[in-house]
Amino acid sequence: MKRILYIFTFLFVSTTSVFAQQEDAWQKWGPTKGLKAGGFIARVGYVIGGTTPLPLPAEIRKISGFSPRGGVSLGIDGYRMFSKRWGVSMGAHFFWEGFDTKADVKNYYVWLEQEGEITKGYFTGTNATSTEMWGVTLPIQATFRISPRWNVSAGPYLSYYFRQTFTGEVYDNSDGVGYLREDNPTGTKIFMTRENPTPYPESFADNMLPLNVGVEVGFDWKATKHMNVFGLVDWGLSNIWRAEFEAISFRMFPIYATIGAAYRY
Amino acid sequence: MNKTFIAVLAALPLFFISCIQEEMENTECDIESISLHLDKPTDFFYHDYDTAQTIISAKTNIVFIIRSYANVKNVPTTLRVTEGASIYLKNENGTDELFRNGSAVDYSDEKVRHFHIVSEDRVWSRDYTVAVVREKPSEGNLKIDFEEYTLEPGGKYYVWTAPEIFTDGTWKNGNPGFKISKSSAKPMDYPSTPVMGGGPDGSDCLKLETCDTGPFGQMVNMRLASGSMFNGVFDVDNAIKNALKATMFGSPFAHKPMQMRVWLRFEKGNTYQDRSGKPVTGVVDEPDAYVVLYRNEDASGNKVMLDGNDVLSSPHIVGLGRLPHYYNADGSDQLTNNPIHGVTGEWQEFVIPVEYRSEIDPTVLANKGYSLIIGFASSWQGAHFKGAIGSKLLIDNVQLYCE
Repeated sequence: MKRILYIFTFLFVSTTSVFAQQEDAWQKWGPTKGLKAGGFIARVGYVIGGTTPLPLPAEIRKISGFSPRGGVSLGIDGYRMFSKRWGVSMGAHFFWEGFDTKADVKNYYVWLEQEGEITKGYFTGTNATSTEMWGVTLPIQATFRISPRWNVSAGPYLSYYFRQTFTGEVYDNSDGVGYLREDNPTGTKIFMTRENPTPYPESFADNMLPLNVGVEVGFDWKATKHMNVFGLVDWGLSNIWRAEFEAISFRMFPIYATIGAAYRY
Repeated sequence: MNKTFIAVLAALPLFFISCIQEEMENTECDIESISLHLDKPTDFFYHDYDTAQTIISAKTNIVFIIRSYANVKNVPTTLRVTEGASIYLKNENGTDELFRNGSAVDYSDEKVRHFHIVSEDRVWSRDYTVAVVREKPSEGNLKIDFEEYTLEPGGKYYVWTAPEIFTDGTWKNGNPGFKISKSSAKPMDYPSTPVMGGGPDGSDCLKLETCDTGPFGQMVNMRLASGSMFNGVFDVDNAIKNALKATMFGSPFAHKPMQMRVWLRFEKGNTYQDRSGKPVTGVVDEPDAYVVLYRNEDASGNKVMLDGNDVLSSPHIVGLGRLPHYYNADGSDQLTNNPIHGVTGEWQEFVIPVEYRSEIDPTVLANKGYSLIIGFASSWQGAHFKGAIGSKLLIDNVQLYCE
C-alpha cells in the first residue's frame, strides 16, 4: 500500500514538473505580453499559384507551360489570443500575383471581340494565357496553437483587386495543329500559326470582378523570439468573371500560395 | 521545415497535371478527302490526279468532271473523314445507310449522291453531295457580265455565278476571308459587291474596293483587303495562316485565249499604305486585270495550281495578258505615282491581248493540260496587303476571244 502511494506521489511530482517545463515553453513562444495577450505580425512573402477552372475542363488536354508572374505579398495581421490555444487574427495582405500558362486544347470555346468585331468558335491547338492581379486580401482567421512553436489558422477572406490583366492568344501546337471552327464544330475552319498568333481582345479584363471571396489556411512556425516562417493558401471560391461574360465558358478561381518570413510582436 | 515548403511548391503543378480529364469524343464531321478508284482513270478524266480531291472545310458540294463522252457507273469510293466520324450514304429510298469505305457508288447519269457525316460524339453532322458530271463542250469564247449573283447562304456577302467551265461554276474572291476579319460588315461593305444598274450599258456591274479589315486584320498584320475576282479556288481555311496560298487560280481550259475585252472604271484611294499600314508617299494605287494560260501538270504528272505567290510569275505560264504597269529591271513590280494602266473614272473598253512565251501543244490543250485564269483586283499589290483603302475598280462586259 505504502509502495503504491510512493509510486503515485512520484508520478504526480514528475508529471507536474514536465507540465511546468511545458508551461515555460508556451510562455516563451507565446505573445510577447502574455499567453492571452494580442500583438501583430508583419509578413513578407513569395506568391505562386494560378487562376484556374476547377476541375480543369476536358477541353484542356495538357498544360505545356507554366511560369509565375509577380509573386510578392506584403501584409500585416493583428491577433488576439483568448486562451492558451485559441485566438483570432485579422489583417491586410497586399499582393502582386499572376502567371503565364500554355495549354494544348481541343474544341476550346473562344470568343474574340474587339470594337464590335466578333469571331467566336471552337479552337484546337495551343491556348496561351497570362494574368496579373494587384490587390489586397483581408482575411479573418481563427488561430490555434498546436504546440508552443506551431500555429495553424483558417478562415474566410475578401480580396479586392486594384488592377487585373487577362491576355491570351491562340496558335498551333507542337504537332502543327492550330485551327478555329467558326461558330460551331461544323463551321469554317481557320488555321492559326505561331507566326501569326491570334490574340484575345484586350477588353477581356474589363469582365473581371473586382472582388473575390475564399478561404485562407495557413501556418506559422516561430523560428526565433520575434521571427516567424509562414505559409498560407488563398483558395478562391467565387468566379473571377462576371456572370454575363460568355467568352469563357467555365468559372475560374484564383488559387495562390504564399511562403515567407514574418516579424512577430 | 524546408520539406514542407518543397512539398507545397511541388504540389501546385502536380495539382494541375493530375486534373486533366478524359479526352472528349470528336465533334467535327468533315470529309477531308475523297477518291474514286478506276482502273484507267484517263479514260474518264483528263488527268490521273482528277480522281482524288482534298476537300476544304467550307466545301460541301463535291463535283468530279469527266470527259464529255464518258460515263461511270459503280465506282469504288473512299472518303477520309474526321477521326471517329461515321459515313452514311442516302440510298434510292431516301434513307441513310452506313457506308463502308471502298464500296461502289452509282454515279451514272450525273446522279447527285448524298453523304451524311456524323461526328464521333454524334451531336454534329454535315451533309455533302458528290456528283460525277460530264464536261460541257465549249467553244472557248466567254462573255461575262456579272449579272447573276446572290447572297451566300449565311446572308453575309454576295457570290457570282461564273461560266460553267470555271471550277464549281462560281467566281472566287476574298469576301469569305473578309468575313473572318470583319464579321460585323454588311453585304455592301465587302470588297467585292454588285452595283445595280452601274454598268456602262445601264446593266448591273461588279465593284471591287480595297477595304480596311479592322482590328482583327490589324492583329494578324493584314490591314487591307483588295477587292478581287478570279476563277479557281479560295481556300478560306488558309485565309489567315497563309493568305497567298489561299487564293488558287485557274480552271482547266481546252482553248487558246487570244484577247480579253473588258469595260473598266477606276478611282484610286487617297493614301497608299505598306503592309504595316504606314503611308507611302509618291506612290498611287493601280488596278489590275489579267488573263493567264498555264500548264497545269508538272514533268512528273503532279497537279500544278498557281496561287497568290506566282499567279503572274510562275514558269508554268505559257500565255499572259495584263493591264500595263511599270516593272523594275529585275522584273519586279515598280511602284510609281505616274501609272500607265490608263483606267480612268470614266467607263472605257480595254483590249488586253494574250502574249505567248512558248508554243501551245494542241494535244495537251485538247486534254485540258492548260488552265485559264481571268483575274481582277482593285489594288494590284493587294495580295501583299499593300494599296490604298478606298481604291475602286468597276468591271463589266468581259469578253474572252479564243483561237
